[in-house]
Amino acid sequence: MTRRRIEITVMLLMWLAAASVAFPQEPGTRAQADRQRREEKNRNAKPYEPNGFERAMHFVEERGMFIGGREGLYPKLGSLATGSGFAYGAGYRDRDLFDNTGILDVWAATSTRLYWATEARLTFPKLANKRLMVETWAAHRDYPQEDFFGLGPDSARANQTSYAIRSDLFGARAGVRPLPLVMAGGGLEYLNPRLGEGKDSRVPSIGTLFTPSTAPGLGESVDYLRSMAFFEVDYRQPKNPRRGGWYRVDFSRYDDRTTGRYTFNRVDTDLRQFVGFLAGRRVIAARLFVSTSDTGAGQVMPFYAMPTLGGNDSLRGFREYRFRGPHAILTQTEYRYEIWSGLDGALFYDAGKVADARSDLNFKDLESDYGFGFRFNTDNAIVFRVDAGFGSRDGKHLYIVFGGIF
Amino acid sequence: MANISTSSLAAFFKRPAAAAVCAFGLLAGPPLWSAAPGFYPDDPIWTDDDRAFDASKVVAIEDTNGYDFVVNTFSDTGERRDVRALNVNTVDEVPDSSWFTNRIGRRDMTVADVVKGPDRVERVSLDGWVVSAGKSTGVQPGFRMTDPGGQLHQIEVDPPPNPELASSAEIIGTAFYHAIGYNTVEVHLADIDRAALVISERATIRDPLNGKRRPLKTLDLDAVFERAARRPDGRYRVLVSRFASGKPLGNFRYYGTRPDDPNDIVLHEHRRELRGARVFGAWLNHDDSRGINSLDMLETSNGRGWIKHYMFDFGSILGSATIFGQRDRAGYEYIFEHRAGWLTLATLGLYVRPWMLVDYPDVPRSVGKFEADAFDPLKWKPEYPNPAFDNMRPDDAFWAARIVARFTDAMIGAVVQKAQYSDPRATQFMTQALITRRDKVLAAWLNQVCPAVDPVLASDGALTFTNAAVTARAATPAESYQLQWFRFDNATATRTPVADGETVSTPTGRAPAGLLNSGEYVGVEVTARHSQYPGWAKPAAFFFRRGPAGWTLVGVERG
Repeated sequence: MTRRRIEITVMLLMWLAAASVAFPQEPGTRAQADRQRREEKNRNAKPYEPNGFERAMHFVEERGMFIGGREGLYPKLGSLATGSGFAYGAGYRDRDLFDNTGILDVWAATSTRLYWATEARLTFPKLANKRLMVETWAAHRDYPQEDFFGLGPDSARANQTSYAIRSDLFGARAGVRPLPLVMAGGGLEYLNPRLGEGKDSRVPSIGTLFTPSTAPGLGESVDYLRSMAFFEVDYRQPKNPRRGGWYRVDFSRYDDRTTGRYTFNRVDTDLRQFVGFLAGRRVIAARLFVSTSDTGAGQVMPFYAMPTLGGNDSLRGFREYRFRGPHAILTQTEYRYEIWSGLDGALFYDAGKVADARSDLNFKDLESDYGFGFRFNTDNAIVFRVDAGFGSRDGKHLYIVFGGIF
Repeated sequence: MANISTSSLAAFFKRPAAAAVCAFGLLAGPPLWSAAPGFYPDDPIWTDDDRAFDASKVVAIEDTNGYDFVVNTFSDTGERRDVRALNVNTVDEVPDSSWFTNRIGRRDMTVADVVKGPDRVERVSLDGWVVSAGKSTGVQPGFRMTDPGGQLHQIEVDPPPNPELASSAEIIGTAFYHAIGYNTVEVHLADIDRAALVISERATIRDPLNGKRRPLKTLDLDAVFERAARRPDGRYRVLVSRFASGKPLGNFRYYGTRPDDPNDIVLHEHRRELRGARVFGAWLNHDDSRGINSLDMLETSNGRGWIKHYMFDFGSILGSATIFGQRDRAGYEYIFEHRAGWLTLATLGLYVRPWMLVDYPDVPRSVGKFEADAFDPLKWKPEYPNPAFDNMRPDDAFWAARIVARFTDAMIGAVVQKAQYSDPRATQFMTQALITRRDKVLAAWLNQVCPAVDPVLASDGALTFTNAAVTARAATPAESYQLQWFRFDNATATRTPVADGETVSTPTGRAPAGLLNSGEYVGVEVTARHSQYPGWAKPAAFFFRRGPAGWTLVGVERG
């Protein structure tokens, strides 16, 4: 019996001993209990290690953010012209020249449709206490497959052709701001557009369907001295507007310095109004664009300098450059609604036409379309958008665009 | 006394049953009778010694805006669990720690105390200071200056369309958050004469165009003042923020713990002062309350490094979004609000979100976009989900609301005065708006639980307590209170009800005869009846321990 008691006692003692080894002494106070927990963590402390996503976000926000707008060498991405396809290239930028007043931007880029361009531009945007802007540029453009369907409102989609155009451009302009929201100015530009056979293998080249009489300027090499003036009022708020307006008139005189037969004047008027409601998260945006031109006696306006309609930024139910003529009118209306911060939806209606005579610049017989879209944006710009156009006689069109609309 | 021979022990260990006992002892844990008691002798603790271990090897965590937004918006950060805050003491309060210091919530502060905030001096003069660096973080334009004593300060300007906007928000926010109990940096208002600024030869800036560090130029200061509101006399009002002492360790997060900080043992999403910050955020419209607007600094004392946790960057509270007035959405929706967004998409924008109809008053531009009439504290939201806010329970909110209740009209008015709005209408509007919002906060969060507080059990068994909601004028008195007394076994943490419940019409009661002689611990569970506030029926339990001077409150459980 005694032996049995001894064994039981030993078992209990061993149990206690084993438990004591496995678990530290029970704390007698709250402070001791907390200290034990900290001792335990101290034994197992390990450095924080960011995960892959965290490292990636660090890179994007601390380094990648600078890539697009970086000083020095930078990648040139986007588009070169309507219908050029996605463009890519490289540039060099210096934004603190001449005591931080001058910006030099030099770039060269090509695109998926084999457009290419290069440009050097020196800008002084805020001279005279921000009241004066001056810039000068030299550029080369080589666009191998621009669309041409013929002139006038009755051009046929079946007559789609393409042409190549390349040009050197040298110019300068200046603008003054008499008021913070107003700018007026003018400038000069020399350009030497040269036409060639279109390189779009899907459609014939322009020369197979059109002649100099149906496509004025075709086959001619003309150098121009363009003199220009402009007046602009901008009170959009913000620049990706929720309210306000933007009104601009551009006057250009193209002086034919080669043949003397293609001198003309062109005036573009672009009026944009934005009305926001429901805290500015719903916006009605309206645009009226009118372009008109005139020539002197015996002069002709070349087709490639005429205003065009059709494409992602005008009549979105039609192909790029679907309509072309010496005069044009375009109205666009959009209802924009914010879905989330940074993403807007849009419903739009476009109507417009080109005209052979100024007297036909009215709201009769307009080509029209409607559609919807989505815009990834910031307060100051649309970064990327998708627009789907319907309701035109040319069928449906989907546009995916790096950049904004009016 | 029995003698145990070695042979007996050897024989003992040969027995399977004995071996099993030892194994069980190793695996099963401590004996039941050594389980943690309900209350330790030192409960309730009022100081959490979270400086006990050396944390000097902690590495910085510096989250980015994008990362913080994405992980908190599109994933469930932290532990989402309906559990009582893990860092409260046994009376349901927050002990002082490196995170929080009980100020207005536990001691009387004068109006002057609240206004003073963390300030060491009444005002600063920038005479003799030099520009020592650029400012490369945050959206508010600014730079850094060093005073003659070598102390670094951050200088920030207000946006031209909204003079005094962000600096006022920062001044007001700092004073309130400090009085509440958070660590905040010292901020002052000052005037700068642009022409008198001197740039140190060693001053550098991270180039905003390419991110590379380079010498600071006059042109960099021009760029700052180009985006600054200028006074009629040509000078600039600036906010001067004194850099916190210690070594910067980035920000804290509203979830998890730092794995390398031995003192950081409570998941942040379960810290009472971080959960309750939702209440303060709602009151002050601190929609920018997120990890990246916090600051961890390594301080050293007694030869050990420890982390002091700061709330900072209050430039985007109230009606300010720092560089412009608040957006209409602020406080009403997350940036990415799933349901509202999908509804808007599906209805082509015909769905009108409630905040779009808020009629913001016509106030001076220094106020920004702020209002109190449409404000609903229970629906208030920060810019994106905050795991600690999401975990806030009624008892957390009650704790925070009681602190808010301590701010008198006079205190609020005096703090707004500190912002030195040049337009008296701004001062008047901001003061009244904060008073109205405070009252709404109290009405919302003092009534979700039984608001019985401050119980006192006298030696003769008389119980008195007060009703926090009634005291704060957030409710009319209760129709009745139900008291249920109990014995408490501290060793097993079990309650045993005593007698039937007692119904009283005033916040008083009396312990049943004999209860107070029956043990070391007794308690009473209180519920209240009010037709407007069903939450008052959730019991508040109070635990008392017998001591030499009578009964002492050692425990509070609410909800």
